Amino acid sequence: MLNRDDALTICDTVLEHARAAGAEDASVSIDNSVESHARFADNRITTSGQSEDLDITATVWVGKRRGAATINDSSAAALRQIASDAVQIARVSPVQREYVPTLGPLDYPADRGYAASTAEPDLNARAKALQGMLDACRTANVTGAGFHAATASATASATANGNRRYFRSSRADLSVTARTPDGTGSGYYSGDHFDLSRLDAQHIAREAVNKAVQSRNPQPLEPGNYPVILEPQAVADLIGFFTGAFDARTAEEGRSAFSAKDGKTRLGEAMFSERVNLYSDPMHAELPAIPATDEGVPATRLSLVKGGLIENLTYSRFWAQEKKREVTPGPTNFILESAQAPASMDEMIKGMKRGLLISRFWYVRLVDPRTLVLTGLTRDGLWWIENGQIKNPVRNLRFNQSVLAMLAPRNVEAIGASLRLAPYMVPPLRLSSFTFTSISDAI
Amino acid sequence: MASDFSRRDFLATGGAVVAGVFVPDWAAAFQPGTSDNARRTEVTDAALAHAAKIGASYADIRINRYRRESITTREQQVQNVSRSTSYGFGVRVLVNGAWGFAASNLVEPAAARTAAEQAVAIAKANAILAARKITLAHADRTVTTWTSAFKKDPFEVPLETKIAFLLKLNQTALVPGVSFVTSQILFADEQKYFASSEGSRITQRLIRTYPQFQTTATDRASGDFQTRPVVDRAKLMGYEYVEEYPWLADAEKAGHEVVEKLRAKPVSAGRYDIVVDPSQLFLAIHESVGHSTELDRALGYEANSAGTSFLKPTDAGTLRFGSNIVNIVGDRTQPGGLATTGYDDEGVKADRWHIVRDGIFVAWQTTRELAPQIGQTKSHGCLHCDSWASVPFPRMPNVSLQPAEKQVSLDDLFADIKRGLYVVGRGVSSIDQQRYNFQFGGGVIREIRDGKLGAMVKDAAYQSRTPDFWASCDGIGGPSLYQLWGTAADGKGEPGQTNHVSHGCPPARFRNITVLNTASA
Repeated sequence: MLNRDDALTICDTVLEHARAAGAEDASVSIDNSVESHARFADNRITTSGQSEDLDITATVWVGKRRGAATINDSSAAALRQIASDAVQIARVSPVQREYVPTLGPLDYPADRGYAASTAEPDLNARAKALQGMLDACRTANVTGAGFHAATASATASATANGNRRYFRSSRADLSVTARTPDGTGSGYYSGDHFDLSRLDAQHIAREAVNKAVQSRNPQPLEPGNYPVILEPQAVADLIGFFTGAFDARTAEEGRSAFSAKDGKTRLGEAMFSERVNLYSDPMHAELPAIPATDEGVPATRLSLVKGGLIENLTYSRFWAQEKKREVTPGPTNFILESAQAPASMDEMIKGMKRGLLISRFWYVRLVDPRTLVLTGLTRDGLWWIENGQIKNPVRNLRFNQSVLAMLAPRNVEAIGASLRLAPYMVPPLRLSSFTFTSISDAI
Repeated sequence: MASDFSRRDFLATGGAVVAGVFVPDWAAAFQPGTSDNARRTEVTDAALAHAAKIGASYADIRINRYRRESITTREQQVQNVSRSTSYGFGVRVLVNGAWGFAASNLVEPAAARTAAEQAVAIAKANAILAARKITLAHADRTVTTWTSAFKKDPFEVPLETKIAFLLKLNQTALVPGVSFVTSQILFADEQKYFASSEGSRITQRLIRTYPQFQTTATDRASGDFQTRPVVDRAKLMGYEYVEEYPWLADAEKAGHEVVEKLRAKPVSAGRYDIVVDPSQLFLAIHESVGHSTELDRALGYEANSAGTSFLKPTDAGTLRFGSNIVNIVGDRTQPGGLATTGYDDEGVKADRWHIVRDGIFVAWQTTRELAPQIGQTKSHGCLHCDSWASVPFPRMPNVSLQPAEKQVSLDDLFADIKRGLYVVGRGVSSIDQQRYNFQFGGGVIREIRDGKLGAMVKDAAYQSRTPDFWASCDGIGGPSLYQLWGTAADGKGEPGQTNHVSHGCPPARFRNITVLNTASA
């Protein structure tokens, strides 16, 4: 991948072309990525490949008219071409009313989420790890399907006003679905880390296999409201709809879940359980993120919900300027965690009189942006708990449930320790009530 | 991964800028010239020859260039105008019956040989995991050129014209009571080249046009708001689609509808007979028929991601899928269809075939790798990749419900409904991993009372189970009501890829369907 000097030299070259072509302000960004993956299914390899690419984007302003062009070619002619294209577009575009001058020089912390071993995975070591997983599946008489991926990227940006930044990041993902031969049991488990060497393939395979075996012959359950325990994966499957609602502009424009009556927002309200903390932190040891927002604002720790109270909504550079507020230094990742000492999964199960243990959700969609009602289905492991013990597997269910109500003060009974499932750190949750509306025949 | 792949040229010239150098405009720069074609041939020959030399029994290469232009607006402001180009190649090899793939944005003979080596190395390293050898169904050796039908190249239309279209659309949609309108138009130009070690050489060009917009009405006093999206009308067409379709009438209607929706009464949950308009039914077809009849899913290839299917590989030809008036075809030749093409991404000619005939599931969607696994010698041509950098894999063709043979009107479909709903436009969709249980919302839903269309309701969604839903279909509109809708965001696979696919249908009637009030959840 491109090093800092080479990446910023490309940016500077395009900036120079843009200036020569008449741009009054400009920002040039680069994304240089490498990707390597292997898929398997039916206990054998299916497809496997690798790719590399380099996207260069020039965004320019001429008299506050904006134009942008992207190309994946770093030849001298191409760099000249995109600067020229962007200026041509800007010249025929209307004035951008939301123009904010590009950033000037700023200090950024060093990135922490990059491992060279992830950028260049050893093919034979990967095949051996996958072989161990497939052996575990065959031994347990289940059929394994899964995905192993390692990606890395170098991103750089430079502006006409002197901002320069360069970050590297990497990510390794491994997931397995195990299915029993009679088609009545299915289990899924996954892990991810910025350092490929930190993925435990055998642990991931073992968890998926156990879930498949333990979920055989599920019994039907009448749809309705039930207490539930959501495993971290199930929380990760829902939480993106929640974290996406913190944008101040849509809340203040009256079209978000955090809009309130009479043009106000719900900032400062204790909408959620006092057990709930939500924040972003690019320096998080387990989930480091690039220490800048998408707009290039240096990112720091940012509390969104503390003890159930909404502490911050997020302001883009334009909306902060419009509302005379500070631009928000994030978010870059999302850490949902207990405000109190976390409960163990065993404690959560033992403390449940009757209810459901949910492994994950599938095909989750936002039904109502006013209340963050979501619909989706359970998948790959659902069990009935009675008097503190897992009793039997249950047929999958469709839910229609508001995330706001899910995290409401009296609905959160216990929160466990948070686990990395990028871009989140998410804990298991025990909830008093969760709404299911129909049975699914799917396994 | 090589560390210096992108440094070849700019480092040689450094950061020096030569003032006054002629820079061709964007449209001209994109046109392939003879030097481009010569380079492509060189790269192809280098990749395929090298792959064969180091052990590949089969190899193919896709050298693709994608050009996109996007304009986004809100109210009377242009938010963003951007253009992008992406050019590169991907080499796929079979070694000892296992696949390998490598791709690069450097379209050069040396990079092609390196990629062939990488692809072969991947296949060899994975040989210990290949429990069964891949075999491919026959494909004809084809040397040809194919271009999708369009009258006006959107990339030759001035930007000012396109911006003016969107701002006029927004202005028209902003009827009294509408608080916000956002709109976007995207144009895509794919220039694809396929070559295989079997001798096929296929050049294709596809032009697509994607307009969409959304109106929002807010009630600041109560904090309530509603939206009316108008999406999924993209087609394999040129700029004539912008000029010939009555977009402004749609915009004005969407404005009035969202204002009415803010005041609409909540739906009463219960059982209803429903008539589903093509603007929503296309999505029900996509999710419940399109995905369930993908053979790779039934064989378990997607078990870890998109899921499997409620259909088993042996079900083709025997299983009742719906009522006997239900006929559904897979069709990669349909004019305007987003998945329409001349040849698929392994050189198989576009096909049209029945998936459901008279209510019986009769045929799968297949590729060269999948067809032999159910004893077939020919692929239906469903291999696709969304980029030169992506591994091609089975993707959905246009899958469409056939209209009734005689003219059946909307009033005919409503006629004997005592308590029903008419569902128009895309709402929220969700379906399980075997494509049984689904829930769909609508953009605008109105009551049907005693055969007549009534008031709008809000917060409604319908739930059903695929075989029950299609079995309950007892009315299908006639040929004049047939419309083609489509989605540009059909996700599948790992790493995830996007497919563009259309579904044609007339409105159809379904009996005794469960309807929820989603606000009461």
